Amino acid sequence: MLKYLMPVLAVFALAFSLYSVRRMTPSVVLAQPPSPPPAAAYPNQLGAVGLIEASSENIALSLPVSGLVTRVPVTAGDAVRKGQLLFSLDDRDLRAELALRQSAVALAQAKLIRLESSPRPEEIPPAQARVDEAKAQLEDASLQLRLIESVKDPRAIRQEDLLRRRRGVEQAQARLAQAQSSLALLQAGAWRPDLDIARAELKQAQAQVDRILADLARLQVTSPIGGVILQCKIRPGEYAQAGVLAQPLMLLGQTATLHLRADIDEKDASRFTAGAPATGSVRGDAAKTFPLTFVRLEPYVIPKRNLSGDATERVDTRVLQVIYRLPANTALYAGQQMDLSIQAAQETR
Amino acid sequence: MHFVAWQMLTGDRAKYLGLIFAIAFSTFLMSHQVSIFCGLMSRTASQIDDVRDASIWVMDAKTLYLDEVKALTDQDLYRIRGISGVEWAVPLFKGASRAKGPDGHFRAVILMGHDDSTLTGIPRRIVHGDITRLREPESIAIDQVGYEFFFPGQPYQLNRSLDLNDRTVRIVAIVDSNAPFVNLPVVYTRYTQALNFVGRERNQMSFVLAKAIPGLPEGELTGRIADRTGLKALTSSQFGWETIWYYMEHTGIPINFGITVIIALIVGTVVAGQTFYLFTIENLKQFGALKAIGVSDLRIVGMILMQALIVGAIGYGLGISMTAIFFETTQSNLDLRGFRLLPIVMQGTAATVFLIVFLASAFSVRRVIVLEPAVVFRG
Repeated sequence: MLKYLMPVLAVFALAFSLYSVRRMTPSVVLAQPPSPPPAAAYPNQLGAVGLIEASSENIALSLPVSGLVTRVPVTAGDAVRKGQLLFSLDDRDLRAELALRQSAVALAQAKLIRLESSPRPEEIPPAQARVDEAKAQLEDASLQLRLIESVKDPRAIRQEDLLRRRRGVEQAQARLAQAQSSLALLQAGAWRPDLDIARAELKQAQAQVDRILADLARLQVTSPIGGVILQCKIRPGEYAQAGVLAQPLMLLGQTATLHLRADIDEKDASRFTAGAPATGSVRGDAAKTFPLTFVRLEPYVIPKRNLSGDATERVDTRVLQVIYRLPANTALYAGQQMDLSIQAAQETR
Repeated sequence: MHFVAWQMLTGDRAKYLGLIFAIAFSTFLMSHQVSIFCGLMSRTASQIDDVRDASIWVMDAKTLYLDEVKALTDQDLYRIRGISGVEWAVPLFKGASRAKGPDGHFRAVILMGHDDSTLTGIPRRIVHGDITRLREPESIAIDQVGYEFFFPGQPYQLNRSLDLNDRTVRIVAIVDSNAPFVNLPVVYTRYTQALNFVGRERNQMSFVLAKAIPGLPEGELTGRIADRTGLKALTSSQFGWETIWYYMEHTGIPINFGITVIIALIVGTVVAGQTFYLFTIENLKQFGALKAIGVSDLRIVGMILMQALIVGAIGYGLGISMTAIFFETTQSNLDLRGFRLLPIVMQGTAATVFLIVFLASAFSVRRVIVLEPAVVFRG
């Protein structure tokens, strides 16, 4: 029996082995990626990565003066007009200064008015009275002199009296002249140079007020363009630094049309021709492509800025930046990354 | 005459079984050792085999094999995309990190970072969970070995945490992947996340995975990429073999296994061949009798070949099934995954076994042909 059993056993064993091998051999199937990667759009193309930006380029708002933020009436995403208030800085000290300067203006103004409105009307009658008095005295002195001169007999008068009365007339004349000139001085009013000084002082005080007003106006930060607030990194109570900041206080831009800033490796730059058509797709939805219109290229090749946003990273290559325009009404945002296919010149190998 | 040959073969039960088992065991020894060797070597290219959706790997020009990587610059990806014939190209990160379980057990892990938006190259055999959840923050997929190391004996459960380089990560999927050479756990995550897990280096893109446009031979595209970028571009199988050859050349494994396989071959040949040879020699009298009654030499050669084939087939069938049973029983062991009986090994062993029995019978045939029929009648 055994001699027949062995072949039978062997047949079963072989059948089992064949089945087992077939079962254990993994089926090698080539799969598709879970989401389709951005595919080549042109037979000859350049690959590039780009960052979406506002058509006005992204404006990082800077301040001429530092200060404490008191009010931010806008939020990110708001559309703003040119000149619309974006945020205000603390202005209490300048307001106090303004009050001081304004009082200085009032003072200068009062001084000028005083000068301009001289002579004081009440001062004229006493002076006039003094002139009249001097006139009366002169007449009296003249009368006295005439009386004594009308005496024909020289012996009847003393020479001394005659001389005194003559002097008396002269004195009265001088007094009249003095009273008259005093009246004239009074009537002439303020001296012009004095008025000029007072006017200049007023102007200076006014200018100082204007300067404070200008400083105050600078504390009200307004939008330099009509556009959209892309990012707002400042809140009431925070201290806003003047000058260029690594993290801008506010990012503005015109987003009605979006632009795409694409980086082309310098080694590929020779294959790029200005005006070449391109298509782009956003990360995560490569199936949807957007036609792009060439706008311009930046003729200066710059070191590549890594899109990871880490400032300490060193440069590994230089890139040619090309600006493309995105079609209108796309659900895309400034700051988004895009993969580009740019039609390239025929390869020369 | 066939019946006579069969009767001669099975007449002596001990010799019959002896012949069969000699061949069965040499079959087992050869196929088993070669299978384990192949399994072990193919493990070195596991991460390449796991990538099923891209067929071209681009790497630094001086890369020797998979596990030693010099990163490419980020811009290289876009240069590769600009080469005509490339349908698409995505980045791939491969690195190492250390993972710590909730109970403090830690292991070095292989960290794979797949392109954020497409997850190209991610393993598709999902044991538990959902691979698309890798898009969530701080999420990873881990292979079964890793899960069972960190949570031994526990059912597969998602959203458990691990510490990866001091970052807490959540497991969102458990995948079945090919075992790496030293069977380290493999952690899969998104490309940018993998970069964050390993910390900052200037350049981190290990590989670019690419695919050729339909109709363009991959070999031509790899040449084009290499030409244009100065990088090294290989197809998956080229890269897999390159990695395997690196291990063959730089480790003692092939020598060790080579010796075992050669010994198996020699022992199998010698034992089976000698047993069969002796069997024929002992049956010389019967052959002599057959010759005496006028059976032609050709007929006798046919008989001997038939005997050899029968013994070889039975022995081979039993031997190869022993190997199959061995690998069937080890299939469920995660640490031994990837070891299996390869069809090519099955075919190769069959060829070798039949060559052995053919050689052995050829030697015997010579003795039978030169046999004088009269020998039967001598004492």
